[in-house]
Amino acid sequence: MGGMTKRKTSRWNSVKNDLTAYGFMAPYLLLFVVFLLLPAAVGVYASFTKWGIVGQPKWIGLKNYNKLFNSELFLDSLGNTLYFVILAAIPLIVLGFLLALLVHQNLRGRNIARAIVFLPHVVSVAAVGIIFQWILERSSGLLNYYLGELGVREPINWLGEPESAMPAIAITTIWWTVNGNMIIYLAGLQDIPADLYEAARIDGAGRWQEVRYVTIPMLLPVNAFVIPLTVIACWRVFGQVFVMTRGGPQGATFTVAQFIYETAFTDFNMGLASAAGVILMVITLGFTVIQLRAMKVI
Amino acid sequence: MSESWRSDSVYRDGSINWGRLALYAIMIFVAIIWGAPFVWMFVTSIKPDNEVFRYPPTWWPDEPTLMFYTRLFDSFPMMAWFRNSLIVATITTALTLVTNILAAYPLARMRFRGRNILLLIILSTFLLPGEILLVPLFLGMIKFKLANTYFSIAVPASANAFGVFLMTQFFLTIPVELEEAGRLDGCSRLGLLWRIFIPLSKPVIATVAIFTFVRSWNDFFWPLIISNTDATRTVPVGLAVFVGRGLSMRFGVIMASAAAATIPAVIFFLLLQRYFVRGISTTGLHG
Repeated sequence: MGGMTKRKTSRWNSVKNDLTAYGFMAPYLLLFVVFLLLPAAVGVYASFTKWGIVGQPKWIGLKNYNKLFNSELFLDSLGNTLYFVILAAIPLIVLGFLLALLVHQNLRGRNIARAIVFLPHVVSVAAVGIIFQWILERSSGLLNYYLGELGVREPINWLGEPESAMPAIAITTIWWTVNGNMIIYLAGLQDIPADLYEAARIDGAGRWQEVRYVTIPMLLPVNAFVIPLTVIACWRVFGQVFVMTRGGPQGATFTVAQFIYETAFTDFNMGLASAAGVILMVITLGFTVIQLRAMKVI
Repeated sequence: MSESWRSDSVYRDGSINWGRLALYAIMIFVAIIWGAPFVWMFVTSIKPDNEVFRYPPTWWPDEPTLMFYTRLFDSFPMMAWFRNSLIVATITTALTLVTNILAAYPLARMRFRGRNILLLIILSTFLLPGEILLVPLFLGMIKFKLANTYFSIAVPASANAFGVFLMTQFFLTIPVELEEAGRLDGCSRLGLLWRIFIPLSKPVIATVAIFTFVRSWNDFFWPLIISNTDATRTVPVGLAVFVGRGLSMRFGVIMASAAAATIPAVIFFLLLQRYFVRGISTTGLHG
């Protein structure tokens, strides 16, 4: 009898415990479900429907996907975005690491350097795009002037030519967001125990060997975080393009996010835009899995 | 790292340490590359019309003027955009802080059914590209007649999982003994959170607050979609849609607008700078 009551009490305690836990989480979970999980699920559902801005969605199976894979505009936007990912993600990761390594050194003024490189982080993409439009301007832009001083004879029409527009947007993006990676790598560098370097030194390692055999392996968890998130962010590029080129010239910078924006909010073809969103999600998830596999994290 | 590497001096054993000197040179170069666009923006914004396109470029105007700022505030509802940005960022930040602190406590400190799967679901949304959410959120807001409200701009942004992750990580580092002592004194769980966790977590709370505020202040894609009147339009959307468009050669006004949008953020950052770096380091992404 006594044992039974005890079991009942402990079961009640565990239920009470669960209720308390979920009570604490309820406000966040409400936001999370209503504004994240539910929309994500509806987004996937919408991709199989024909859905305008008013009226009910109509199930049409895979027709949206079929349409996308036969649409030159969409396939071009995929190609352009992949090109941007290659142009921007690699420098964002490598330069982020190198900058962190630089401002990790014991140099006078390194805090000021850190602050200056971090500063663009607090600037909106609208302002960044506007500033770089002016810097990249063909005839009186700052960049062409200094390139001219360095011996580049023909001024480059950065945002006006299909060949140079995407590199120009990549340069802008690197200036704007490399600081996030720098700060995360810096935190990772500061966490590496000093005795590991000492041990390496006793084994006769030089400075680059230290980086190669101590720093980089120790940063694996940081890399597993930084690399996928950087690649995902690059696949989602939107604001810079919207402000600086609107996808031009001749569609050279028309990205997937731009395609989604125009399909949904100019043409009001919600189903087709959702299908493009799902494809973007599948691509970024695929890339993430491949990267984590390559790093042997999963 | 031999002893000499610990020092910040360019001299070693009485002679010049060339490697160190090169590091200083690179650091100065980096600072110039990242600082110059800000200076250039500001300098252009205070140049009179006839100096803006002067070639070769000059780094200080002969006759500095605030004319473009006057013109900017006269031609565009900048003050309304500022007010909207401020209100939206404040709502998002407040909502994020309250809900995230509450959610992080059981995730870090209680055993309950579904904890691990819940944490996994929350963290996996880091990998979810937000574009998939835009259409359903937009249609939902239209359906409930919430488009063009502060609610529609501010609230979805607070569902972000970043703060929950950082706070959970930080709460895990708070010694259990403190919590047990509090419990012996008869503190409820809410009391523990209020009296022990929150005071000890000021750095991470500051970090989450600042990052959320800045992200909201600069957010672009969602506000662009959901707000199309000056009653709720935020600064970045106003800049991109109005100031930066159809004025392609009037870089003076455009730079004044960029500067007006940037200067408050920069001051905000300089005041709270230490929290940005310290917050990330102390919360430990190394898990």
